[in-house]
Amino acid sequence: MSQVKIPPKRGRSILRWFCGLNILGLVTAASLAAAGTVHAKVRTVGVENEYANVIAQIGGKYVMVSSIESNPNTDPHVFEASPSVAEEVARASLIVRNGLGYDTWVKRILAAAPKSGRQIIDVQTLLALPDNTPNPHLWYKPTTMPKVAMAIAEALNKLEPGHKRYFLMRVRRFDASLKPWYAAIAKFKKKFHGTPVAVTEPVGDYMLEATGCDIRTPWHLQAAIMNGTDPSPQDVSIQNHLLRHRKVKVFVYNQQVTDPLTASFLHLAQRAHVPVVGVYETMPTGYTYQRWMVAEVRALRLAVTRGISTTVLK
Amino acid sequence: MMGWFLSVLHCEFLRSGPVDTALLVGGSAAVVCAVIGVFTVLRGHAFAGHALGDVSSAGGSASFLAGISPLAGFLGIAALAALALEFLGVRKVREQDVATGIVLGAGLGLSALFLYFDITTTSTTGAAVTVMFGSMFALSSSIKWPAIIVACLALVAMGLLYRPLILSVVDPELASTRGISNHWIGVVHLLMLAMAVALAALSVGSVLASALLIGPAAASIRLSRRPTVAILGAVIIGLLAVWGGVWMAYESYYWFSGNSWPVSFFVVAIIFIIYLLTIPLKYLTGRKTPVPVAVQHATGAS
Repeated sequence: MSQVKIPPKRGRSILRWFCGLNILGLVTAASLAAAGTVHAKVRTVGVENEYANVIAQIGGKYVMVSSIESNPNTDPHVFEASPSVAEEVARASLIVRNGLGYDTWVKRILAAAPKSGRQIIDVQTLLALPDNTPNPHLWYKPTTMPKVAMAIAEALNKLEPGHKRYFLMRVRRFDASLKPWYAAIAKFKKKFHGTPVAVTEPVGDYMLEATGCDIRTPWHLQAAIMNGTDPSPQDVSIQNHLLRHRKVKVFVYNQQVTDPLTASFLHLAQRAHVPVVGVYETMPTGYTYQRWMVAEVRALRLAVTRGISTTVLK
Repeated sequence: MMGWFLSVLHCEFLRSGPVDTALLVGGSAAVVCAVIGVFTVLRGHAFAGHALGDVSSAGGSASFLAGISPLAGFLGIAALAALALEFLGVRKVREQDVATGIVLGAGLGLSALFLYFDITTTSTTGAAVTVMFGSMFALSSSIKWPAIIVACLALVAMGLLYRPLILSVVDPELASTRGISNHWIGVVHLLMLAMAVALAALSVGSVLASALLIGPAAASIRLSRRPTVAILGAVIIGLLAVWGGVWMAYESYYWFSGNSWPVSFFVVAIIFIIYLLTIPLKYLTGRKTPVPVAVQHATGAS
């Protein structure tokens, strides 16, 4: 049983510390630099960097994309906007946000700085989800992004009329590029349907459900870890039991929502040789949305078939 | 049927790992707080005790950043703050509140900064709630022994200094004529207070630490002014509150269909109720208890 090395979570260097302070990460589409036109680009913001990545893929040379929540060392659930972030958001003509209480601060900034013609895509509204939807991590749901991509194309068409064919072509290309992910999910589901898994919090749950995994961790424990509230001892005992006695095939660990309790679960999983799969709130650097999702399914598959841990996506 | 049901719950309660840790760590905090709390109340240092708890939150939140045990964080900062209090002049009652307030404010300000770093650089989600209000069931089981060791150290120190401490509480002038330095007793008492507060902050959170420190001691002192009896009573009340609170939080899982309430709430609620109960109890029993002359003198002076 091989193990991919787990980076030390604690005792970070001072350098890393200060890098972490740089919350505002600018994501520029690769095509942006290549285009080099004098044409004024549409300022867009993907509040979470996975949405920013999809904007860049659809908008191509006509957009300038920035993302707010892209720091892998922070928990987006507890993000507080700084004045520079507020300005960035307020200046954008197209904003894509997740909704479901994940980025409520954006709503306040937008209300405080009205701008005519501004297009806002709230993914929760787009998917017609009620406010009490327990799991806000919509980007792990296979059906989410095609709808977001189409909505982005429509919004850009309003801001940049005359490039409809360009945007629609890129939507088709994006949809086609999701096929390997869907195929990987279908293949996993066919072969390993009902695989028992434990999780820390619900970030990857939509994908685990799509792959037919059986999430054994009590929902209340997942919610307590996500929201940073008191866990109940019964739930902690169930989770300890699942890991200690290898009742699950995989332990899906959210790298961005951690506390001493999740660290103790990780320790238990490692001691019991339960393979660990790292999942993320925001897209890890060096990935596109599609490649990220494919990598997560592959990591899950490696864990189930060969007992390999993948805590950091490579 | 009911009895069988209860016995099943009981077994599971005691077999649960998180409960075991909570009972041990919370129990040591209750005992140390009770013993030291009695002196804190008698010396009129309740506010200083509360401030040390609040200030220790800076240590708790820094521990997430530094990757050290939260107990070490709470203890380190509480001890530093205790020394700062003594240095800034905690002896005169009027200056005491001002010095305490200044240290408290500075400490909480530091916590705000450290908690910000916790959340933005180490993705420690529940840090604020855990540090401020405690999460006994989320304590790592590896913290059991350090907590017990700190508790034992505090109790041993208390045992060694019991007589001079009593004397300096009861009659500071007599104590100084006997060659007991009130200054050093004050420093040592504040350091022991820091140990008690660190254990309490680890259990019920730094903001609620003073409830565990002051509550059982104050309730017990209402019933008996004899130090030994008051300490024993405070230990019993403290353990009742912490263990009862842990049990109730455990049971609340079944009351609210899986949404158990925070254990710190139950602990503090029990302490408060016990304190309220001591008011009528005092009238029933208190008058018959002879109050030692020296203690009367000490409390009259404070």
